[in-house]
Amino acid sequence: MSALRLTGVRRAYGSGEAAVTALDGVSLDLATGSFTAVMGPSGSGKTTLLHCAAGLERPDSGLVEVNGEPMPGGSETRLTRFRRERIGFVFQQYNLLPTLTALQNATLPLTLAGKRVDRARAIALLEEVGLGDRLHHRPDQLSGGQRQRVAVARALVTAPSVVFADEPTGALDTRSARDVLALLRSAVDRHGRTVVMVTHDPVAASYADSVIFLADGRLDPAGELRRPSADAIAARLAHLGDQAVGTGV
Amino acid sequence: MFALAVRSVRQRPGRLAATLLAAFFGAAVVILFNSLHDTAQQPGIDPGSAESLTLTAGVVGGYGTLLVLLGVASTLTLTVRQRSEEMDLLRRTGATPGQIIRMVIGEALLVATAGALLAVGPAVLGGRALVARLHETGQVAAGVDHVLGPIGLGAGFGVTLSAAAGAAWLAVRRVTRGRPGRHRLRTVAGALAVTAGAGGVGATFAMDPTEPALMAAPAFGSILISAGLAAFSPALVRALIPALGGPLRLLFGAGGHLAVLNLRRRATELAGVLMPLILFVGMATVTLCLQAVESDAIAGSGLTRSVEDRNLETLNLVVVGIVTVFCCLLLINSLASATAFRRREFGQQRLAGATRSQVLRMVGAEALVLVLTGVLAGTPAALAGVLSFTAVRTDRIWPGQALPTWLGIVAVAALAAGLAGLVTAVRTVRVPATVAVSA
Ligand SMILES: Nc1ncnc2c1ncn2[C@@H]1O[C@H](COP(=O)(O)OP(=O)(O)OP(=O)(O)O)[C@@H](O)[C@H]1O
Ligand SMILES: [Mg+2]
Repeated sequence: MSALRLTGVRRAYGSGEAAVTALDGVSLDLATGSFTAVMGPSGSGKTTLLHCAAGLERPDSGLVEVNGEPMPGGSETRLTRFRRERIGFVFQQYNLLPTLTALQNATLPLTLAGKRVDRARAIALLEEVGLGDRLHHRPDQLSGGQRQRVAVARALVTAPSVVFADEPTGALDTRSARDVLALLRSAVDRHGRTVVMVTHDPVAASYADSVIFLADGRLDPAGELRRPSADAIAARLAHLGDQAVGTGV
Repeated sequence: MFALAVRSVRQRPGRLAATLLAAFFGAAVVILFNSLHDTAQQPGIDPGSAESLTLTAGVVGGYGTLLVLLGVASTLTLTVRQRSEEMDLLRRTGATPGQIIRMVIGEALLVATAGALLAVGPAVLGGRALVARLHETGQVAAGVDHVLGPIGLGAGFGVTLSAAAGAAWLAVRRVTRGRPGRHRLRTVAGALAVTAGAGGVGATFAMDPTEPALMAAPAFGSILISAGLAAFSPALVRALIPALGGPLRLLFGAGGHLAVLNLRRRATELAGVLMPLILFVGMATVTLCLQAVESDAIAGSGLTRSVEDRNLETLNLVVVGIVTVFCCLLLINSLASATAFRRREFGQQRLAGATRSQVLRMVGAEALVLVLTGVLAGTPAALAGVLSFTAVRTDRIWPGQALPTWLGIVAVAALAAGLAGLVTAVRTVRVPATVAVSA
């Protein structure tokens, strides 16, 4: 069963002379319970890929399916409803709401969906991410690593089909980064979630089951790396860089 | 530092719009009324005309100036606080608190000067129209033309610039000191304003009931009380939340829920938006009711109402109207600015799964609470002035038309606050959420 399927997804920004093709026909199929890292040079379209796959942006063409259901067209409201039940997202800059406590932030997607918040379950979730003693702290009273762990809890709270993370460790120190990566890993191993994570760090990517590479809005035709070591990832990235230079792009 | 201020003004004209508008409206009102003093002092003017002009300028010019001072100051406080992040950044890159303070004050002075300069033209046109009405009512001889001189210009620029610089100084000091203090200064200032206002209202009883300037004391008093109560309005918001939480959640769903959480956390920062709301409710109620009582008193004095009396009534309403409109514009201006500033927050809510309409319902729910607070604080402030004036001027205590007037004012306040918040929010959420959080 595939949790996420993209077929020929294209996305361009701007128009005319200044148009930039951020995604140039990307197709991929990710199985439920998989952990995939997305890597590639800056500007290669990683964030755009995640936004299109998560329903935060609409592709110009192509199809996005989550658990076999196509991303709905029409109003932004329909898309938001679809997204908030099926998709979790972790941002590099956390994007927690400053006026809400850790617990309130983590349960916000449920509140917005009009669902009853199971307090005991929500507290258990925050305990799982190691914040059992920070439930009622607001983001400005938390460290970067703690904030990101709240964000991970928020992304998991609706038991979504796919969890996306865009450079979730980009603003963190090594130790906090390891904590966050371990949380994503355990979401896959213990709860069978599907995770897609963008990262620039080969060590972070080595937490994933497989790594796909993006260059100039296209998936690297050499294919994915399975069960990769950080060294293998670094070698492949260097190669990808050479290619980009070699083709004069 | 002045060069830095100039550069910073040029780079971010949009974010200074609120300050510019407040300075513009404020300076226009002050120049308009104070130019009547200039007009009264031109050589060769007859004493009757001079007295009428001085009276109008004195009565309205006095509390009008106070309103402008408070209005410009509250807008400045709001906009300076919106920039605390930028100032943090400057401080971390090596700017000293002194440099930041000079930059922010320089900027405030620059923008206030621009606003005041822009206001001169409209103020002159307004002044001419006002003097034309005074000609019609026969209070000023036909040969007397409106002039703008040192008093109008001096008061206009003086009030606007000092309000801007003073408020910028207080606000930036609070920001550069890191953690905001206990707001002790605000509490003390609020208490002083309420006391002074009560004194003003009390002074009404010491005055001659037929004195033409009788209205000035209760109007001044009510406005001071309004401003003073504004300092305590965050506490009022906090007190209201427990009672309102349930109904708001029921009425506005998740939007109401978010509104409750925001209001509870941000009550202190809301003072900047509440000040113009309370001032509007307090000031509009007191001046319009006083005018109505005065008209009734003239009508009830047994003298038949001449055309002139009726003209005078309209003229007074025009004058009061100008000040009321100023307060209403100020209220719209600060609410729109405060809402536009929340672009990033709205984007974050949408990324977490809020639909646009949930964000809008949240803004609506918050506006409702703000208006309610404004009415709860503004009404007693106005009542103090209205009741004392009615008691002194007539043999009754309760003015006849007070209730419908008050209801009308509450409706306008609700409409202005609701529309300013919602229209701005609708425009703000038009930006894709991913873009809104990254800017
Ligand atoms: N909102 C936008 N408007 C215009 N161009 C954009 C926009 N967002 C992205 N782009 C362009 O699309 C391309 C892909 O951007 P994207 O953010 O997806 O790259 P990325 O791989 O995530 O890069 P990074 O590693 O630096 O985060 C870039 O050339 C970028 O300049
Ligand atoms: Mg990116």
